[in-house]
Amino acid sequence: MSVELSTSGKVLRATSVSAGYDGRAIVHEIDVEATPGKVVSVVGPNGSGKSTLLKSLVGVVPVLAGAVTVGDTDITNLAPERIAMLGVGYVPQIDDVFPPLSVKENLEIGGYLLPRHDVASQIEAVLKFFPRLKTMMSRKAGKLSGGERKMLAMGRVLMLSPSVLVLDEPTANLAPLVATQLLEEYIRGFADHGSTVLLVEQRAKAALRISDWTCVLSGGRVVLSGAPRDLENNPLFVESFLGGGAARA
Amino acid sequence: MSVFLSSLGFGLISAAVLAIATVGFTMQFAVTNVLNLAYGSVMINSAFVTYFLNYHLHLNAWVAMIGGVLTGAFASYLLNRFVFTPFQRRNLPPITIVIVALGVDLVGTFGLQAIVGGSYFSYKQSLGRELHFWGMYLSTLQLIIIGICVVVMGLIHWLLKYTRLGKAMRATSANASLARNSGIRTQRVISSTWLISGALCGLAGTVFAMNTGVFEATSAQLYIVLLLAAMFLGGPGSAYGAMLGALTIGVATEVSAGYFNPEYKEVIAFVVLLGMLTFRPYGLFGSEKTI
Repeated sequence: MSVELSTSGKVLRATSVSAGYDGRAIVHEIDVEATPGKVVSVVGPNGSGKSTLLKSLVGVVPVLAGAVTVGDTDITNLAPERIAMLGVGYVPQIDDVFPPLSVKENLEIGGYLLPRHDVASQIEAVLKFFPRLKTMMSRKAGKLSGGERKMLAMGRVLMLSPSVLVLDEPTANLAPLVATQLLEEYIRGFADHGSTVLLVEQRAKAALRISDWTCVLSGGRVVLSGAPRDLENNPLFVESFLGGGAARA
Repeated sequence: MSVFLSSLGFGLISAAVLAIATVGFTMQFAVTNVLNLAYGSVMINSAFVTYFLNYHLHLNAWVAMIGGVLTGAFASYLLNRFVFTPFQRRNLPPITIVIVALGVDLVGTFGLQAIVGGSYFSYKQSLGRELHFWGMYLSTLQLIIIGICVVVMGLIHWLLKYTRLGKAMRATSANASLARNSGIRTQRVISSTWLISGALCGLAGTVFAMNTGVFEATSAQLYIVLLLAAMFLGGPGSAYGAMLGALTIGVATEVSAGYFNPEYKEVIAFVVLLGMLTFRPYGLFGSEKTI
């Protein structure tokens, strides 16, 4: 993995963040901190506000109260493009690529903020990370399989060598083997290279395996948080996410 | 056969004018989500600016055309800035923007008529030699308009495929939110789109007036039917579809005019529009809004 990923991740911190639509909060007073070299995961049932939380951190959903910072910079309610310029890469759960554009064009758009002469070399670097994309550069993103599409979405974000990666359910709709590879090989790899990774994930067991810290969201609030090993020993967490039908490896 | 070939010649020149207009029209829709029904009024107002520069300031028509192009660009930019964007910010249903555009069209067209009156106008411009080939009759002026169309289509292809702005326009059209998360300042892209598509609108207005020879304030009022038909035929929002749609509608309407009453040209276009909306609402290329 020789991609020029940032090795100088920054701390992403949400302090008492409430966020939602039309002035109505979906998530309430959330405190989350993601640090360089670590994977912080957010798990929880459907509708608990996980995606809304991530969207509020990257400027897609308005923050109604609290503050979001990257390093020393306050990014609360900054426009998404400004947040991208500050080194925060965001991969949404759905609509994560530009379907009518080719794979190459998607990567070029990912490198939109780079100096023009750096784009080609950064594409080469990303392709070393996701070599499978190399064979499909002229294919339209809308024609890719779920796994290929997710690789492209990640590759698009890696084009800017972000110091913070915010990933919303990257394994959604992926086959279990592909999902495991994505989480354990790539996403863990990003953190091991020094990036800060904040991850929302439905597959609680798999998320715990690669995480350094996990928050559990329910009803728009953090109800549990801790190191994965501690959570695995927490009866409430085990019952809710690992033992019953809600658990997905 | 001779009727068909001579109509085909008229069809090609109509298609050339329509292609320039439709590509601008569909780019506006693709990138900005505005179905700008005021497009025809901007076209004819631009044509009149060219007329003013040509007739009253005695500029060569081709030089005066630059004034028409700039008028289209800035009028469209200002329309977006001060009319469409404020309405879009209020999160009103899309039909509201359509009604607003329709209102702007009426104000633009009949406001112009109030200024210039109901007379007919024409540029001080020679049609050039009439050329006869393959059964078609085309003037030098018409061949130049076809040439302009070919160059403009080439430039649009270059813009969309090979430039940073063009790729950003396509990305914004496909997914504006993701484009912003990629660092694209979509508002700038949208403003640039209004300027470029508005320039095409101004150019289309001027070559439309050159091609018809005589024109009045309301000459482009029914042109929106041709624009919509060409756009929906090629797929709403698709620039390449718009080129194909314009070629088909331009030729179909003129060839039909060769056999039926020319007054029914817009009816033919409207029938095509209804047919496309019924059977292939995403156009011949079959994809949802994508530039």
